[in-house]
Amino acid sequence: MKKAYQTVCGLLMAGCLLAFAQGCEKTVQGTSGSKTTEQGLGTPKAPVTLPGEERVSDDIVVAKAEPEAARQRTQEMQQEAAATATTGLQDVFFGFDKWNITDDGKQALATDAQWLKTNNGKALTIEGHCDERGTQAYNLVLGEKRAKAVRSYLVDLGIDAKRLTVTSYGKDRPFCRERTEDCYQQNRRGHLVLRVK
Amino acid sequence: MTTYANLAMKTVAGVALSLAGLGLAGSLPQSDAADVYLEATRPDFQKIPIGILGFHDGALPSRPGKEAADVLGADLRRSQVFAVAEASKLGIALNGTSGPAKHKLKQAVESGVKVLVWGTIGTRDLDYLLDRFIYDGGDETGASRRLVGSTALLRQMTHRLADELVARYTGEPGIARTRIAYVSEQKGARELYVMDYDGHAPRQITYDGFLNLAPQWSPDRKFLVFTSYQSRTRQNIEIVDLSTGKRSPLVSLAGLNITPALSPDGTKLAFATSQDGNSEIYTMDMQTKALQRLTVHSAGDLSPSWAPTGKEIAFTSDRGGGPQVYLMSSDGSNVRRLTFDGDYNAAPAWSPRGNWIAYVCRSEQRQYKICLVSPDGQKRAQLTSGASIDDSPSWSPDGRHLAFSSTSGGKTQLFMINSDGKEMEQLTSRGTHNSMPAWSPAEIQKVDAQPTEKK
Repeated sequence: MKKAYQTVCGLLMAGCLLAFAQGCEKTVQGTSGSKTTEQGLGTPKAPVTLPGEERVSDDIVVAKAEPEAARQRTQEMQQEAAATATTGLQDVFFGFDKWNITDDGKQALATDAQWLKTNNGKALTIEGHCDERGTQAYNLVLGEKRAKAVRSYLVDLGIDAKRLTVTSYGKDRPFCRERTEDCYQQNRRGHLVLRVK
Repeated sequence: MTTYANLAMKTVAGVALSLAGLGLAGSLPQSDAADVYLEATRPDFQKIPIGILGFHDGALPSRPGKEAADVLGADLRRSQVFAVAEASKLGIALNGTSGPAKHKLKQAVESGVKVLVWGTIGTRDLDYLLDRFIYDGGDETGASRRLVGSTALLRQMTHRLADELVARYTGEPGIARTRIAYVSEQKGARELYVMDYDGHAPRQITYDGFLNLAPQWSPDRKFLVFTSYQSRTRQNIEIVDLSTGKRSPLVSLAGLNITPALSPDGTKLAFATSQDGNSEIYTMDMQTKALQRLTVHSAGDLSPSWAPTGKEIAFTSDRGGGPQVYLMSSDGSNVRRLTFDGDYNAAPAWSPRGNWIAYVCRSEQRQYKICLVSPDGQKRAQLTSGASIDDSPSWSPDGRHLAFSSTSGGKTQLFMINSDGKEMEQLTSRGTHNSMPAWSPAEIQKVDAQPTEKK
């Protein structure tokens, strides 16, 4: 992580110099017309920029990044969702702009604590979620408060905090998408997920 | 790295909104906004009448001439510097490559259209060649350096011409070649994208299949910093090099690491992390990686936004109960609350000229709207209205526009609006969710102050 930015800057500068050098080379080759077929028929000629011209180029070049990592992540999340579905763990729901555990939430968490005591080797991720009202950024913090309130309540019930990891998705991974109070309620939740590794 | 910041801080003469042309009637929030904005601008400024005569393209089948004229007209209208005259009413023929008749140009300028612009577009291999001409009185027509670009980049070539015109008549860089980074939902995942400032040419930057949020530009506009979720339990702040796609982690502290923002000189990264138990704002030195904690409070602190001087930071905190916008010095001292109207104010964005902070306010109708407040808290205006959730305001580098997300059409889409609350324009329409816009700095480039050749 150290010097990551510098490294990136360095690479970029090197890249620019290289591109510049290539650009000059191509200009010369192009104007002399000596190099057009190296890559076979139908391959575009290297662009030519003559003296006195200004080339407008695209400065954003992005390669597809890590499709394998994305696939693994998706697979892991699907495994977690399937494993969670077999546990009977219950989610916790919150009031608008609130992160305190309601009476219903306490009942759900009592059941969840019982499950955790029975399944002593298991660990959970507690995800905080929010409805669509308010800003994306502040809802990340609100979601984390909800997740931590859930963890705190489970710890009070005797569960080791080390088994409970919290995260927050704010309003960015909603369970439902309608603009109704029912849907909003579904999205204001602490979602418990069984960890598979 | 400070070049743009310096430019933005300069007092720019000759650029302001035309009072007469504004049409101040309208809904309440809009006229409030206009009143406030006018104090920061020169009321005597008149938009410069400009005529776009067209681009002679020798009847190329792709009709680049028409597209270039359309793009240039849209750019110049958005610039708020020019009043674009109807080309057909000028009655000046392009006359192919030989150009319009001089006496016709003279007549048009004498009748009030101060600037006339036209061009020719040809092809060479897979490139377009764009020669552009500017006439603003006198005996000469100025031809600037020929622009060359791949045929796929005709819009960029035309944007380049628009920026040249803005620079020539205002002395400041235009915004037609700026870009907007944002978050877009694809196949259930939220990924980073970058598009042109007018919503064209969207390009996907990440393919993680999960969740990336809150992109912000480096001052040299070569990098984006953003919040990246690696898995349910791993999450960090990363930087991506837009010219290579290479990514590196910057902040991987325990807990949530969110809302990154690079300082105007690029030397420091401000962000929020919950490693201390609740969300606090830190800065990280980009060279030494040394961390400095700025906020110390049991409430949530997040969304740092740098003043263009780099000396102060606006941020969101719920230390007063609900979220409000606060200011502090960039070393964390001198914290004071900025917003007092309403019980929900968040997501501050300090304007590039320093005179406004845009933020999300919750209106009396419980709608989330874009508001402005001056850094001294004395002036306040609500820019948007209606029943929708508006979010994540981000300033154009010239300070005359804001991009933001809105649910006004049912889906979450990106819009731009003038900083006086007028001329709202929808930028995205694909998909169901486009959010968290971040407007890039202006391109640092040499602009021909005077034509390099005479004809």
